[in-house]
Amino acid sequence: MLKHIKQGIVIIKTAWLRNLNYRFTIIMYRVGEITELLVLILMWTAIYSGGAGVIKGFTLNEMVTYVLIGNLCSLAVRNFLPAYVSRDIVEGRLSMFLVRPIPYIKYIFFNELGRSFLVTLMSLLTQVMVILFFLDKFIFNGNIVYILLIIAMIFLAFVIELLIGFLIGAIAFWTDETEALQLTIDRIKRFFSGGYFPLSLLPVTLATAGIYLPFAYSFYFPAQLYLKKISVHDGLIGLGVQVIWIIILAGILHMVWKKGLKKYEASGS
Amino acid sequence: MSIIEVKGLSKRFEFHRKQAGLLGTIKSLFYRKKSYKDAVDNISFNIEEGEIVGFLGPNGAGKTTTLKMLSGILYPSAGQVSVLGYNPQKRQKDFKKKFGIVMGQKDQLARLITPMDNFVLFKAFSEISDEDFKSIMDELSKLLGIEDVLDVQVKKLSLGQRMKCELVASLLHSPKVLFLDEPTIGLDVVAQKNVRDFIKKYNHLKKTTIMLTSHYMDDIKELCDRVIIINFGKIIYDGKLSHLISTYATDKIIRITSIEPIQQEDLERFGVVEDYQGIRASIRVPRELVKKTASEIISSDLMIDDILIDEMPIDDIIRVIFQETNREDK
Ligand SMILES: Nc1ncnc2c1ncn2[C@@H]1O[C@H](COP(=O)(O)OP(=O)(O)OP(=O)(O)O)[C@@H](O)[C@H]1O
Ligand SMILES: [Mg+2]
Repeated sequence: MLKHIKQGIVIIKTAWLRNLNYRFTIIMYRVGEITELLVLILMWTAIYSGGAGVIKGFTLNEMVTYVLIGNLCSLAVRNFLPAYVSRDIVEGRLSMFLVRPIPYIKYIFFNELGRSFLVTLMSLLTQVMVILFFLDKFIFNGNIVYILLIIAMIFLAFVIELLIGFLIGAIAFWTDETEALQLTIDRIKRFFSGGYFPLSLLPVTLATAGIYLPFAYSFYFPAQLYLKKISVHDGLIGLGVQVIWIIILAGILHMVWKKGLKKYEASGS
Repeated sequence: MSIIEVKGLSKRFEFHRKQAGLLGTIKSLFYRKKSYKDAVDNISFNIEEGEIVGFLGPNGAGKTTTLKMLSGILYPSAGQVSVLGYNPQKRQKDFKKKFGIVMGQKDQLARLITPMDNFVLFKAFSEISDEDFKSIMDELSKLLGIEDVLDVQVKKLSLGQRMKCELVASLLHSPKVLFLDEPTIGLDVVAQKNVRDFIKKYNHLKKTTIMLTSHYMDDIKELCDRVIIINFGKIIYDGKLSHLISTYATDKIIRITSIEPIQQEDLERFGVVEDYQGIRASIRVPRELVKKTASEIISSDLMIDDILIDEMPIDDIIRVIFQETNREDK
């Protein structure tokens, strides 16, 4: 155990060293995030100014809070694994890990943990700035039970996103062209996460599907919890769904990775 | 038991030919013809502890493929491999802690951090203790003379400096077996010699078994007593380098530099002119005549500035062997 932690700490530190080189990129990403956030808030403000005081149970203030909190959560769980993993496979860098006495999966997970920690800190800062800007529309929820529940949910969502990211990256074992697929999956994920609008605005079947898919737990669920539109009880059930997904995804990943490695071992690069 | 034992090792790649052009691409969406390539074809050899063996062959001969199978990156299609008593295919952790590989054409160091940061990462991978790490780093960086580049971003290193760091990265865990795939590729003469000298010293100090590929005759001459030559996936020579040269390198190369351009015709009376560039030329001369011819050239009326006698390039020797073995077959 101690050994794993030791290795993990070195990998995370190295990830920081490496990512501090991307200061400009990191800042530009934040600019993009803020822009996207502002567009969403302006859009909802425009829609509500049409006269509707409440849309499907959301007031304007609730909607703005939904967007702000949801965005914060989705940023915290986001990763770049699809791009990293597929590049390592296509360019053959994976070979260099096959000869090292550490599993590639372990390395890349720690590395991503390190990278996203740094980025999430930055995102948090910019998001808080935006929240301060819209303070008059922002609803506060200081309830410790809800906050703890949300934190647990985000942590599990982070793990789920890592597994999904890794799976998407592993597609590169079978084809060199993964970029378009990555983009499409991103859109679908975003939709079912409630990132475009709350899932409860959708037709019932789609909304229910959304709740049993793993994506809603990185945006919709925590945001709704924050707004107390989902009860603590349902929140706990949500955690259960997440755990089941983690088990399923880990199983799939185990199989897919094994199959992929077999293929890699046959052709190598 | 030998350190490396290879028996009947083969690798057949399966691939699809992609036809050129739009029509071809569309066709290949529906119908793809499978092709096979026997990159390594039933090779066998043993290597003993402490040996440095040169693994030679022209481009595409199957050298890298063989080294990948020996290190467990690629699965063989047939045959047995045993390295240090392990089957590389199983990729056991213990095995990985006992060998190292450097691929000159593929870098393992992250470019945005310093070599030292990279080494610390590899140290964690291989679970090397702090004391071992320190003493190995001290020793290696002194041997290679890279003390002052350890804290410079990898992307800012010269090719030679980077290659030296790649070597260190593969030696941190003191491997018993080392595979070096073109460790001197692209380096200038001085850097090549540095790396070469280091490999020699390291082998001397640690008795590490080394298998090395290179297209440069100087590397092979300096480092290897024994060479294995592979062509089209088959071993065509396995034995002493000295025997190889005396048997097959029947010619030597005289390289001359002149003060003024010389006519090619003026050189042809000395031997076969291989490479002609006005003031620079190489002439191929039978081994036994080389001294006599060289002195004839110097004492001729040509304005010779410099003269150098070299062995035939490896690829030419291989061609000779290949022609002879083929002739025997027929
Ligand atoms: N993944 C692959 N799929 C299909 N063919 C391959 C693959 N990898 C290598 N080959 C083929 O196998 C043959 C041997 O390649 P290999 O890389 O082992 O040669 P090499 O001796 O290392 O050559 P070089 O001196 O150029 O490095 C080549 O013809 C190459 O095209
Ligand atoms: Mg090669």
